[in-house]
Amino acid sequence: MQIQPRETARDHMSPAWLWTVQAGSGALLLGLLTAHMIAQHYVADEGLRSYAEVIAWLRNPVVFTTELAFLVTVTWHALAGLRGIVADFGPSDRVERLVTRGLVVLGAATVGYGAWLLVTIAGNG
Amino acid sequence: MTGRRGVRGWLDPRGRHSGMWTLVAGRVAGIGLTCYLYAHLAVLSLLTRGPGTWDRFVAIAGHPAFLALDAVLVAGLLVHAAHGVRVALQGSGLLIGARRSLMVALAVVGVAVGLVAIVLLFN
Repeated sequence: MQIQPRETARDHMSPAWLWTVQAGSGALLLGLLTAHMIAQHYVADEGLRSYAEVIAWLRNPVVFTTELAFLVTVTWHALAGLRGIVADFGPSDRVERLVTRGLVVLGAATVGYGAWLLVTIAGNG
Repeated sequence: MTGRRGVRGWLDPRGRHSGMWTLVAGRVAGIGLTCYLYAHLAVLSLLTRGPGTWDRFVAIAGHPAFLALDAVLVAGLLVHAAHGVRVALQGSGLLIGARRSLMVALAVVGVAVGLVAIVLLFN
């Protein structure tokens, strides 16, 4: 019987896997960003929604879920893109690991803060 | 690609083809958009301070100087998206033989969408 090596978390950080997820998140963003831009910046009378309009808009569960998905996708895409740029400069393994960990922490903080903002704003009024 | 020459290597015109310049433009736009993501979250935090603060900001955001920044944002988004679509298609082995035609098509679509978006912003 052939022994298969166990899949580790590090395998999921391979350049091919990252490239595929980056391309997929980019494709997803084409739709999410278009929806976000049209809904938030092009249909409001004043160019942007008023305070009351923003709250009413975010209380719609579909909108809330879509904006949350947008937040997670755009944060992933932005920070994985930054990691790719750093990796192209050919840093040592140690520096690359440090950058990756730093960006994971920054990403988690960004999504956490953004989600808190969404919940707080939708709960206002 | 950029390798050990660092960021200065991005701007060195020697031995570069058009694909390299779109890569540099796409990456510069991507870095700008990442900075914008955090600026945007900071602006959205105004919504936690109540209607007075947000509605004052909305009034300022309608000023032409502010709209010009939005136009720069739209341009950055389109440059980054066009570059991303090209890299995703060709990295997947699609349209390899039509590199120049794909770049021209993406540029035409990008400029058209950008012009419509910017005209709508100022109306």
